[in-house]
Amino acid sequence: MASIRLQSLTKDFDGLLAVNNVDLTVPDGDFVALLGPSGCGKTTTMNMISGLETPTSGEVWFDDRPMSTVPPGKRSVGFVFQNYAIFTHMTVYGNLAFGLRVGKPRPSKTEIDQEVKRVAEIVGVEQILDRKAGRLSVNDMQKVALGRSMIVRPAIFLLDEPFSNLDAAFRAYMRAELKHIQREVGQTMVYVTHDQVEAMAMADRIAVMNLGVLQQLGSPLEIYDRPSNTFVAGFVGSTRINFLPADRLPLASPRGADPRGLTLAIRPEYTRIVPPDSPEATIGVRVNLVEPLGAKDVVHLSWESYDVRTLSTPGARPRIGEHVGLALDSGHVLHFDEATGQAVE
Amino acid sequence: MARIRLEHVTKRFGSVTALNDVSLEIADGEFFAVLGPPGAGKTTLLRTIVGLEKPDAGDVYAGDERITDVFPGDRDIAIMFQNLALYPDKSVYDNLAFPLRQAKLPKQEIQRRVAATSSTLHIDHLLRRKPAKLSGGERQRVALGRALVRDPRALLLDEPLSALDALLRLEMRAELKRLQRDLGRTLVYVTHDQVEAMSMPDRVAVLREGSVQQVETPEKVYHRPANRFVATVMGSPPMNFIPATVHVSNGSLRVVHPSFAIEITAGLEPARPLEDGAPCLVGIRPEDTRVAAGGDGIPGLVYASEPLGGETVVDLTLGDRVVKALAPPTLVFAPDDAVRITFDPQRLHVFDQAGDAALSAAGAEGMFHVHVATG
Repeated sequence: MASIRLQSLTKDFDGLLAVNNVDLTVPDGDFVALLGPSGCGKTTTMNMISGLETPTSGEVWFDDRPMSTVPPGKRSVGFVFQNYAIFTHMTVYGNLAFGLRVGKPRPSKTEIDQEVKRVAEIVGVEQILDRKAGRLSVNDMQKVALGRSMIVRPAIFLLDEPFSNLDAAFRAYMRAELKHIQREVGQTMVYVTHDQVEAMAMADRIAVMNLGVLQQLGSPLEIYDRPSNTFVAGFVGSTRINFLPADRLPLASPRGADPRGLTLAIRPEYTRIVPPDSPEATIGVRVNLVEPLGAKDVVHLSWESYDVRTLSTPGARPRIGEHVGLALDSGHVLHFDEATGQAVE
Repeated sequence: MARIRLEHVTKRFGSVTALNDVSLEIADGEFFAVLGPPGAGKTTLLRTIVGLEKPDAGDVYAGDERITDVFPGDRDIAIMFQNLALYPDKSVYDNLAFPLRQAKLPKQEIQRRVAATSSTLHIDHLLRRKPAKLSGGERQRVALGRALVRDPRALLLDEPLSALDALLRLEMRAELKRLQRDLGRTLVYVTHDQVEAMSMPDRVAVLREGSVQQVETPEKVYHRPANRFVATVMGSPPMNFIPATVHVSNGSLRVVHPSFAIEITAGLEPARPLEDGAPCLVGIRPEDTRVAAGGDGIPGLVYASEPLGGETVVDLTLGDRVVKALAPPTLVFAPDDAVRITFDPQRLHVFDQAGDAALSAAGAEGMFHVHVATG
C-alpha cells in the first residue's frame, strides 16, 4: 500500500495540454475519484500514475519514491478497465488464480486456493468458480476482472470507468459493494469516472477536472455544498443547479458585497413551490414542464429569460402554464463572480 | 398522424426470438416509450414498425391500414437512429431538404417546409453550417428535423440521447418532451434509460427478451410493477427485494421474515396464489425505506453510506441481504452503526416465487401492517 503524490504534473500532446500542472495528494488507503467530462484529462492523469503515459513535466510519487524511472510493470499497480480484461477460455477460478501463479515467489497450491476463495467471496463470484469466464454475464465478468486485480494486492488500485458498460441496477449494487470492499481491504484507490453519482457515492474525496486543470479537491459533500467555481457547481448534482443574477434577487450577498457582477446559485432541492401571493415567494415563476422521476418530480420553471428547476413530490404536482411562487432557501444560496466563475464567500 | 398497432408480432433471427408475440396499441399523438436492457428486442420492434424487418408472424397497422407488407419508404413513418447518420458534406439546409428532394417536391415547397421545421427546432440560424461545426445537441436537432420534415404520421426514435453527455441529456429530455407536446405527433421512443422512460412518455412498454412485461403510464409501472423485472428496471437505485415466507392460517395472510412480519388485512385478494410455506419476495423502494439511529424499526447494520448531495443512499444489512434506504443528507451514518429500519406500509409489494407481483399495498390503504420480530 502506498500514498500517491502528483507534483506539477503536465502532459502535452503536441500542443494539446491534456493535463495542466496538476498537484494532488492521495493519502495511503484513500479512495479518490477523478471526475470530469470526456476530454478533461482524467484518464491521462491515471495513465501517468500507472506509467502507461510519461509526463511532459512534473513527477508522480508513490510514498517517497519518484516513479519517472520505474516501468509500469514494476509499479505494483492493479488495473480495472471499462472492458473487462479477463481470460475468456479460463474458468473463473483460473482467472483469479492467474496473478498468484505467475507471481514471485509463487505461493503454494493451498495458499492460492485460500486466497482465490477469499477474493471470490469479496467480489461475489464464489458460486461460479468453475464456470468458463467467456460464458458469464457482463456483470459477472466485471466482478471477475475486479477480483483478478485485487488478488495480487497491488499497492495502488486504479479503476477506469469500470461500471459504465453495466446496467443501472447492477451499477447501483456495485457502488455499495466497491465502497465496502475498499474499506475492508484498505487499498489506495483511484477511480476515474464521468458519472458524478458514482464519484459522490463512493469516494472519500473527489478531484474534479476540466480542460486538464484540477478544479477542486474535496469530500463529496464539500464539492456539492461548497463548489469552488461555476463549473463544479454545474457538473455535480443530479438535477442541474440554478444560476440567477444576484442583483435582481432580494437575497443578501456575502459580507454585504455589491451583488452586481455576481451570479447566484441554488440547488433545486433548496427551492420550493409556494402560492404566488405567499410571503415566502422569492420570485414569481411559470411552470413549463414536469418530469416525473418516480420518487420525485423535476419541475422546470421560467423566471424572465431564466430556466429554473425545482423538485416536488408527485402528490403536489403543479399544472403546466400555472404561475406560482418559488421560495429560495437563503441558507443554501451560493455566489460566484460572474466574470471569473470563482466562488465568492 | 396515426395510431400504430402491432398484433401478435413475432420475429426470429435464427434460433433467437427477438420479438415474441408482441401486441401493442399506440394511440394517435401519443408519446410512447419502449424500455428494456440491451438485447430485449427494442430496436427490432422499431425496425419492424418502420418496415426494415418483416415479422415472421403477426401484423403491423398504421391507422386502419395493414402495413405489414408495405415498402418502408411508402409507410410514411420516419425513424431516427442512435448514430444520427447526418450527411457530413451537406449543410444543415441540404440535410433537411434531402428527403424532400428525394420525394421530388417543388422547390418552393421544400423551402417552406425546411423553414418551418428549422424554426420549430430552433435551428434556423444554423442552416448554412456543416454538421461537423455543430454541437452535440444541435446535431441531434438536425437529425430530428430531417425525420420530421416530411411530416410523417409517426416518428420513431432509437436511443436518441444515449450519445450525449450527461448535462446535455438532461436538457434534451425536457426539450424533447416539450417538442412532442407542441407537435402532437405519435412518437415511439426506444431507450434503456429508466429516467428517460419515467420522465418523458405518456405510456411505457417494458420489454424483456422479446416479450412485453407491462404497458402502463410510467407512474403505474413505477408504483405497481407487474413483476420483479419491471420493478428492477424502473427506479434508481432499484427496488429492494427481501426473501420471506408466506404464512396462511385461518384464512389470514402473513409474510414472515426472521426480523419482521407483514400482516395483510383480510379482503385483499392476491393477484397470484400465495400458499402457506411458499417462499416469496418483499419489495420496497429505497425512498420508502427509512433509516434512523433508534426507535421501533427493524434492527440492521450500516454496510456503506453513499452521499449524493441532495440525499444519501444508506446501504443496510438486513439478515444476509443489503437493502438501500434514502436518507436526507443531514443524517450521517458510519459503517457498522446499529440502526433501525422502517418500511412505508403503503408502498410494500409481495412477489411470488416466480417474481410476479402478488400483492401491492398501493391504493389499498391500511391493508399492510409491519411488525418487528421480537427476541
